Amino acid sequence: MKRALGLLLTLAVACSADEFFEKKIRPVLVEQCYACHSAQSKTPMGGLRLDSMGALLKGGDTGPAVKPGDKNSLLLRAISYRDLNLKMPPGGKLSDERIADFTRWVEAGAPGPTQVAAPAAASSAGLDLERARSFWAFQPLPPPDPKRTIDSFLRAKLKENGLDLAPAADRGVWIRRVSFSLIGLPPSPREVNDFVNDQAPDAYRKVVERLLASPHYGERWTRHWLDLVRFSETNGHEFDNDKLDAWRYRDYVIRALNQDVPYDQFVREHIAGDLMPNPRLTPDGAALESPLGTSVYWFGEVLNSATDSVKSRADQVDNQLDVVSKAFLGLTVACARCHDHKFDPIPTLDYYSMAGYLHSTALRYAVIDSPARAREIAAAHAGIAAHNESIRKLLASSLPVRSDAAPTIREGDELFAEFDSYDGWDLTGEAFRPGPRREVPPNQPLKGYTGESIASSFGAGTDRLVGSVTSKKFIMPKLWVHVRLAGTKTGLALRERAPLRVTVVADDHPSQHFFPDGSPGFTWKSIRMTKEIGRTCYIEIVDRDRGGHIVVDKIVFSDSKEPPADPPIPENAPIRLEDINPTLVSDLQARRAAIEAQFPHSAWGMIAGDEDPHDVSVHIRGSHKNLGVPAPRRPLQILTKTVPKCEGSGRLGLAQWMTTDAAPLVARVMVNRIWRHHFGRGLVPTTDNFGKTGERPSHPELLDWLAARFVESGWSVKAMHRLMLNTEAYRQSSRVEATASQIDPQNHLLHHMPVHRLEGEAIRDALLNISGSLNRDMYGRGVRPHIGKYQDGRGKPASGPLDGDNRRSIYIQVRRNFLTPMFLAFDYPLPVSTIGARTSSTVPSQALMMMNNEFAAEMAKRWAGKVAAEEADPVQRVEMLYRAAYARLPEDWERREAIAFAEKRSWQDLAHVLINSAEFIYVP
Amino acid sequence: MFHRRAAPSRREMLCQAANGFGGLALLSLLREQAGAAAHHPARAKSVIFLFMDGGPSQMDTFDPKPRLKRDHGKPLPFQPPTTVFNISDKMLGSPFTFRRYGQSGAEVSELFPHVAECADDLCIIRSMVADHSEHTAANYFMHSGSGFQGRPSIGAWVTYGLGSGSKNLPGFIVLESGLIPPGGLDCFGSGFLPASFQGTLFRSGEHPIADIEPIDKQPGLQRDKLDLLARLNRGVLDRFGPVNEIEATIANYELAFRMQAEVPDLLDFSKESEATRKLYGLDEDLTSAFGRECLIARRLVERGVRFVELLTPAHKGLDRWDQHSGIENGHRVNAKSTDKPIAGLLKDLKSRGLLDSTLVVWGGEFGRTPCAQFPDGSYVKEVGRDHNPFGFTMWMAGGGVKGGTVWGATDEFGYFAIENKVHVHDLHATMLHLLGMDHTRLTFRYSGRDMRLTDVHGNVIGGVLA
Repeated sequence: MKRALGLLLTLAVACSADEFFEKKIRPVLVEQCYACHSAQSKTPMGGLRLDSMGALLKGGDTGPAVKPGDKNSLLLRAISYRDLNLKMPPGGKLSDERIADFTRWVEAGAPGPTQVAAPAAASSAGLDLERARSFWAFQPLPPPDPKRTIDSFLRAKLKENGLDLAPAADRGVWIRRVSFSLIGLPPSPREVNDFVNDQAPDAYRKVVERLLASPHYGERWTRHWLDLVRFSETNGHEFDNDKLDAWRYRDYVIRALNQDVPYDQFVREHIAGDLMPNPRLTPDGAALESPLGTSVYWFGEVLNSATDSVKSRADQVDNQLDVVSKAFLGLTVACARCHDHKFDPIPTLDYYSMAGYLHSTALRYAVIDSPARAREIAAAHAGIAAHNESIRKLLASSLPVRSDAAPTIREGDELFAEFDSYDGWDLTGEAFRPGPRREVPPNQPLKGYTGESIASSFGAGTDRLVGSVTSKKFIMPKLWVHVRLAGTKTGLALRERAPLRVTVVADDHPSQHFFPDGSPGFTWKSIRMTKEIGRTCYIEIVDRDRGGHIVVDKIVFSDSKEPPADPPIPENAPIRLEDINPTLVSDLQARRAAIEAQFPHSAWGMIAGDEDPHDVSVHIRGSHKNLGVPAPRRPLQILTKTVPKCEGSGRLGLAQWMTTDAAPLVARVMVNRIWRHHFGRGLVPTTDNFGKTGERPSHPELLDWLAARFVESGWSVKAMHRLMLNTEAYRQSSRVEATASQIDPQNHLLHHMPVHRLEGEAIRDALLNISGSLNRDMYGRGVRPHIGKYQDGRGKPASGPLDGDNRRSIYIQVRRNFLTPMFLAFDYPLPVSTIGARTSSTVPSQALMMMNNEFAAEMAKRWAGKVAAEEADPVQRVEMLYRAAYARLPEDWERREAIAFAEKRSWQDLAHVLINSAEFIYVP
Repeated sequence: MFHRRAAPSRREMLCQAANGFGGLALLSLLREQAGAAAHHPARAKSVIFLFMDGGPSQMDTFDPKPRLKRDHGKPLPFQPPTTVFNISDKMLGSPFTFRRYGQSGAEVSELFPHVAECADDLCIIRSMVADHSEHTAANYFMHSGSGFQGRPSIGAWVTYGLGSGSKNLPGFIVLESGLIPPGGLDCFGSGFLPASFQGTLFRSGEHPIADIEPIDKQPGLQRDKLDLLARLNRGVLDRFGPVNEIEATIANYELAFRMQAEVPDLLDFSKESEATRKLYGLDEDLTSAFGRECLIARRLVERGVRFVELLTPAHKGLDRWDQHSGIENGHRVNAKSTDKPIAGLLKDLKSRGLLDSTLVVWGGEFGRTPCAQFPDGSYVKEVGRDHNPFGFTMWMAGGGVKGGTVWGATDEFGYFAIENKVHVHDLHATMLHLLGMDHTRLTFRYSGRDMRLTDVHGNVIGGVLA
């Protein structure tokens, strides 16, 4: 290849050859640089070619490589290894002699051959969006033909291939199939019996309706949804810190599915639920629902000590964009981070236009009380304030006069906050309202209080209040942070889970905490910002404790390890009201206690908030150190008819766009996901990729018809289930006919129902169910996972119970670094990106787990115990076991084998074998 | 894409698997035989990766820097890049002395007297470069070529490419003695590859794998259960028709049963000679834990296991090789506990003729800075070094590697690799190359792309190949 290039240059050089260039410069370029920076490399790295003078002068993505005469030319900087981030050639520095040659050459004006071969097009400039719009996935939806049915679409294709749908499966098979499909639990023997004997024409429909009305439906389908949003309740990385309130998102999805919230609303809530003018409320009216959708942004991994804040944020945004675009749009937008998407019409500019929305959005742990609830809380707070005001009036003359002396701010100190106001801070909840306090309530003795204003969560005088104040982001400027604070003692070991704390959050990692220690007055707490200095941080003051409070006077950044000197503490101790008027006091206290006893609860969420709305620039080759043109915030061009308005972060406009301009794609992607879960394979098998590299739909008209019906139904997910489940296709047997398997071995045409294996979660739930253990409690903080001796590492949590309190698997905490082994063995997806279609592998750990794990054995024991307690006759017992596990009666030989085995060994051992059977974990 | 000899193509099978169907299960079971799909003749059949969790210091082990001794205590003459703790700027000379060993004359510090005896088998790469300064990301990166959770570990890629090589054991096994690196078990995960390729963690102790110990203690009970199960499952096949997954599930129980028998046999050292035990340091307190790992590693390789990773043992008061302080003592203890076992492993493999077909790789997720971390003016004995991914040392031996070689160099401070840089992607490419695979063709379709261990990077390092 060297020869080919030599030839190219020889031609060029023939016109004007400079000896120095030929002897000293060109050979080095050819030898050291051309592999990556010439016509011979398919895509020249950094867009830079060095195989012609024109190319050298033109340069690459970062600008001209050589400016004749300029010692600071990029090429010279690169080969001198002066810059940290630009060192060329990458394999090692050139000799000093060669570097000197290059320097001389550039200084001399870079003489070289002027005539060069015309450079090929530098990069894929300009996508033809109009042409790209003709791709199937970007087409509008045709109006749905009301006369068609799913079966008619499928039959038409089957008929073309000389095939038909398989005959209906046994009723027992069908009800087991649909039960797992909709609620993730096996049908009870009674449900099977009722259905098998129900001769009414709508017997099938009634089962579907019963299951859709079950609260377990939401639990089952929430797990599918969580796979799409890389749901996790911890940050992973070194210490696996908690994501507080992540579980509330899980509950939000369960409720939304059970209530059949229109999917377009659900999508908009994910993008901008915090910004909606009329948010949905929880069923009790106490909390906002819509903002919880925005938890979706924050389930990703968080580095515990990012050395480069900007890169860390860019990576976070990349993951957010990846998840949002795959989950809703079925597009791999993240591929366009470093270059225009290689296959889909998504230029890099679009990537950064979309990224701008996310760069304008910050994580907020916020109180999400409904307006009504917030008013109730404010009223209760006002009641407390009124009582304390009465006391204050009585005491007016005896209250100590505060000196106004402030701590001494020294040279090298930077006063970050003294709470004259909350300007620049975000307030949530009631505790810190209405603003910083200068009056300490009479029921709060606060030693060392100087009369300066403070951030206090004690409000007008009660521990019941919760809330937080959060600073804007800033770059940590100093090595020490000193906080002068007071308040109720809290659990230090809880770290970010402590309900009262001042936390320095560095690159979204809750990095350092200042805790009140319960001492009667202010104390300074000092922490060295070893890892935080120079990084993007914010500070939050948190009170999530209904029985405690926190008070912060000053936050000082400093060069000094020692905190500033305290002001002189006022001599006159607060006067005890009890000494003045004991009767009145006890009366007022009783009335205050009555309010406190009824004090309404607040709800929290891990949500999004707008912060510092701004456009970002294209990161050339994905590098944040190499910025290109600005990318105005707007959605993907390929799907945009009207660019939405961009107020604040602009997410509200983006949300609208998702369900207007992008609606056909959003609908197609979602109906395909539902189809995949019912029929085992998507009409588009690549459920998360509807782009060019994804597969084409096997039944394009059917997909469009379903999507159109979906939109027509008001985006009702339950309507889609009805449509798909009340079909002959779904009633088919899973037995394959020989001819069909020859004509269509992969079953793309759906000539039989594919057998599918249950997920680990469904297997566990089924075990709990048949053994009579299932705890049907819904919602709430998750159960800690059971940690076996084979799980280890930093951030290891205390183990939860072996049986997970018998709760459904959806309520087992998803701790990123300590995922549940039983789920993992059965292909649980890592919470990394969108997974619409789990793999289904067969590995020894599955067999070992079902054979030898104490949980499986315990379930077998309970199941056998339950059956033994209910039935003495062995024949009946075997029938009970079979009906519970497989929704059918045993055949004669099975009954004989089972009884013989149970008599030789035990009923528990028989139960253990039955749950190990393939029939238990496979659904035909 | 990886090409198999037999139809259907591997991609087809895996695509089916990714959609919950098809023969993946069969695939993983049937591909136990070695070398099913090499791109070119392999030099190595197995890999033993001695992962030095925490990041050993290059200038204290295999990359002597006299300049640091000369200028000990002086500030670096340039502005160093941001490091995790960001408080090291004064040079720290190595407290250890170096000597030349073997015919090649490779320089090794006093920390590794036994490994040094094998100097002529080592190819010492002094110019390693990684992308991350912080443990978790660096660990993910060293294992998977990406600084984030969720990519397949190199052991998973290798097993995906070549199959297990053992009928009774998984293809990718990780041995530990009480320390899991930051990032956790995901360092050994299968990412988007099917779960059958994930690393199986063998803990120390009698029952190294979860659920490997039969729960049925009565004699013959488990066999009885499996026999009944086999009969019931045949009934399921009759009932469902011929379904690949169900056939695979049946075979899977037999594999699990064989594993139950194989693992105790693997851990039974009674047939190992006294000399062998001594060679690995099993008779000494400090070396017994890692010695055990090394001996198991040899026995796994003998059984055809494709990729064995060894994790460093836990020592009270030491945070792995991560000596931000107390580097002198910390590195001494870490080195001492691994030096003899590693040398024992190399010598034992060689004497059994296994070294030629086993690639041994030693190194951490990054190296350390040339500067002392003097937190708040602590004593010299207490100083340590910060993380340094810009230049560090790893070594390889056996399996097609040119022994007695020193490859690449760092600058005079040992801070930056400057000559023949070997990026982690290059290391991965080279390891795959030695196993007979082209890193650009070992791919798995995920998220619309043919994913690779080396992403879009990586060059095979010709200079280290024998």
